[in-house]
Amino acid sequence: MRLKLMVTLTLLLFIAPLLVGFGGVIAPAFSWLPVLGLQQLSFNGWLQMLAWPGLSHSLLLTLFTGLGSTLLALCWCFIILKQCWHSQYWFKIERLLVPVLAMPHVAFVLGLVLTFSANGWLARILHHLGFSQHLYPSVIHDSYGIGLLLTLAIKETPFLLLMSMAVLQQLNIKQLQQVAASLGYNPQQTWFRLILPLWLPKLRLAIYAVTGYSLAVVDVALIIGPNQPSTFAVLVWQWFNEPNLELLPRAAAGAMLLLLLTAAIIILLRFIEWLLISYCNQWQYRGVTANVKIHNKTGSNHRIAIKLSQALLLFPLLMLPTLAIWSVAQRWRFPDLFPSRYSWRFWQQQLEPLQSLMTNSLILALISSLSAIILAIVCLEYRQKYQRGLSPWLITVPMIAPQISLLFGMQTLIYTLPGQHYWLWLSWSHWLYVFPYVYLALDGAWRSYDVRLDQTARSLA
Amino acid sequence: MKKLAAIYQIVVSLSLLVSVAAYGAEATTLKQATWSQILTQAKGQTVYFNAWGGSQEINDYLLWANKQLEQQYGVTLKQVKVTDIAETTQRLLAEKSANKNRNGSVDMVWINGENFASMKKYNLLYGPFIQQLPNWQMVNQALPVTTDFTQATEGLEAPWGVGQLVFIYDKQTLAKPPKSFAELLTFAQAHPGKISYPKPPEFHGTSFLKAALLELTANNSVLYHPIKLPEQQALFDSTTAPLWHYLDKLNAVAWHQGKQFPNSAAQTIQLLDDGQLLLALTFNPNAALAAIEQGNLTESATTYAFNAGALTNIHFLAIPWNANAKAGALVAINFLMSPAAQAHKADTTLWGDPTILKASAFNKMSHHQHFSLYPSQAEPDPSWGNAIAQAWLARYNH
Repeated sequence: MRLKLMVTLTLLLFIAPLLVGFGGVIAPAFSWLPVLGLQQLSFNGWLQMLAWPGLSHSLLLTLFTGLGSTLLALCWCFIILKQCWHSQYWFKIERLLVPVLAMPHVAFVLGLVLTFSANGWLARILHHLGFSQHLYPSVIHDSYGIGLLLTLAIKETPFLLLMSMAVLQQLNIKQLQQVAASLGYNPQQTWFRLILPLWLPKLRLAIYAVTGYSLAVVDVALIIGPNQPSTFAVLVWQWFNEPNLELLPRAAAGAMLLLLLTAAIIILLRFIEWLLISYCNQWQYRGVTANVKIHNKTGSNHRIAIKLSQALLLFPLLMLPTLAIWSVAQRWRFPDLFPSRYSWRFWQQQLEPLQSLMTNSLILALISSLSAIILAIVCLEYRQKYQRGLSPWLITVPMIAPQISLLFGMQTLIYTLPGQHYWLWLSWSHWLYVFPYVYLALDGAWRSYDVRLDQTARSLA
Repeated sequence: MKKLAAIYQIVVSLSLLVSVAAYGAEATTLKQATWSQILTQAKGQTVYFNAWGGSQEINDYLLWANKQLEQQYGVTLKQVKVTDIAETTQRLLAEKSANKNRNGSVDMVWINGENFASMKKYNLLYGPFIQQLPNWQMVNQALPVTTDFTQATEGLEAPWGVGQLVFIYDKQTLAKPPKSFAELLTFAQAHPGKISYPKPPEFHGTSFLKAALLELTANNSVLYHPIKLPEQQALFDSTTAPLWHYLDKLNAVAWHQGKQFPNSAAQTIQLLDDGQLLLALTFNPNAALAAIEQGNLTESATTYAFNAGALTNIHFLAIPWNANAKAGALVAINFLMSPAAQAHKADTTLWGDPTILKASAFNKMSHHQHFSLYPSQAEPDPSWGNAIAQAWLARYNH
């Protein structure tokens, strides 16, 4: 009973802000904002949005970078898993995953800019080797968004790998491979015909999270993405920051459109998955086809995959030296390879304010993740016991729904509540975004847990 | 059930009444308080100051100001860094929507122009308060300190510093910089790829367009009256036609052929230092000196203005209507307007932001501002800035 109460509480904590968040964006999107004296529903916001020059271009960029980075990360993830799972090298990957995932997106992207921009480190090296600066292909702010796409894919691959770990453990790959081998499948075929169709649906929610993030990301896109025009999420963010408040309905309409776009893409992904696994499933049943060529190449494929995983996982960490040098550089003019003057002043001046900021972040992270872990365990236990759990769709909503679409409404809600408990509300809003990830991460472990163990234990009293 | 509803209604209206009464009481007491009463009330308060956080020099200055305020008045000044003060306008609007008329999260804002116009229009500001500040008496009334982009300030914001749109160049690489927008075009055509401006609607980018329009249009008196679109589209089109004609030609020979623009004024300074641009843009007439000191520019960099003068505006400090620490904010604003704080701010090795005080205010001090302002050009009505930025996006943003 207590368990049930906790689950209901979780549900309430979860749904309330989402409803308010959606309400808070839908109302202004249809020009209903009494504070500004807007009390007549209209489509003005939508019309203003549609009249925006370059809107379709911006939407296309969002689609290309968001969908492209997800698919690329997924391919990379599958290649690495296929070649390295259960090999000795896998332990190294596992150890690398944590530091790579812990690196903030923004730090990684700033490192990229400092290294790869037209006056970054690489350009400086090329300059000294005698190459002209104009030949240098810039991936920073490139108008096709390729830099943004690659950045997102690199940063999302480790997340998908981490999520796949639980899935593959649950699938018991070794057994599958033995059975497949006894039926005459070579490892290549086993992975494509047996493991892929099992792995993909179980990774579904993680993939949607990656998609939702890539479509709606603002900070990374702002630093490295195209700006002529920018991706749609950045555009909406800029609209929200427009000093002329009468244009707020346009921003709200944009936030709604972003939400709808994300939902549509996720439905599309679900359809593709269904097509691949249930409809076009002939390839799964074709049986053993002897393919000696592939078999011979497995060794070199393995090496390539190891190189790929090394590159992907070490690449973000390579940004750290650049960031470290810049943090003590006082004068570092192009094309100098190293700063001409060093200074500790940034550290000295910022250390004091940073301390309180860091303590705040740490406490906030601890509170929200601890409460998320506890509540996630409760919910999973409840599911284990009663075979009824939170709908996975509901849980992924905060991961998938663009943050800018929800924040204005949530902000208003928090101000309506009496008192000044900002810490509480802040922790709550963090929890809302932490909980789904924790739930997803633990979900696999719970699923792979054999209930019969409990039953046996109980039968033995 | 009916009874319950009735009771509920009574409770709600009572609590509303109480809060309104309390709010009114607080407002009148603070407005009638003497300065020493305000100082007492301010002691121990923390002032959350929402200010643009994009400049290391300014952030450092505010850390210094906090130390002084803590020592002298027991007031803590906390800078809440924002990338654009419009974020705060947004936040205040959310608070207003939620009827949060007390204990707001923002105590003080750094604003001017469009954001002031918006906040004033929707009653998001506390005041008038400037007459209460002792240091208001020392303000140089020859500067436009009571109008903000043609809008009357009505005592709702106190002047803090002076911004002038000027250019930076490196004397070593450039002997004769262009002195007007007409010369700038010829210059850009002679040095393709070496000229650019921050992408509107970024503040500096929009200001660059306004300055260009002031020089290029035949009829610049209309720029000082509000423009209402789409009603006055014809007037807008005829006034801005020369600007678009000019930009078509300038963008074609600009940095990256006008397919990319810098994101900020700070980036133009960096691009100047890296040799990618020949001119950088800034609203601080002493930016070059401060940047040299900070290691961001070479020693031979210098600031100058076009012959027509520099687009000039005052930047202000204001207090939201629902601020929690109003007394603290008043003390902080008064301190930031003091000769000591203004002289420190005008120090070109620190920030170099020109003072809004009379020269006589610095009589007793050994250090004071060692520079004079450039001839000034007044800011057009804020509605023009908005309209030009939007039209720029429509033309060049794809």
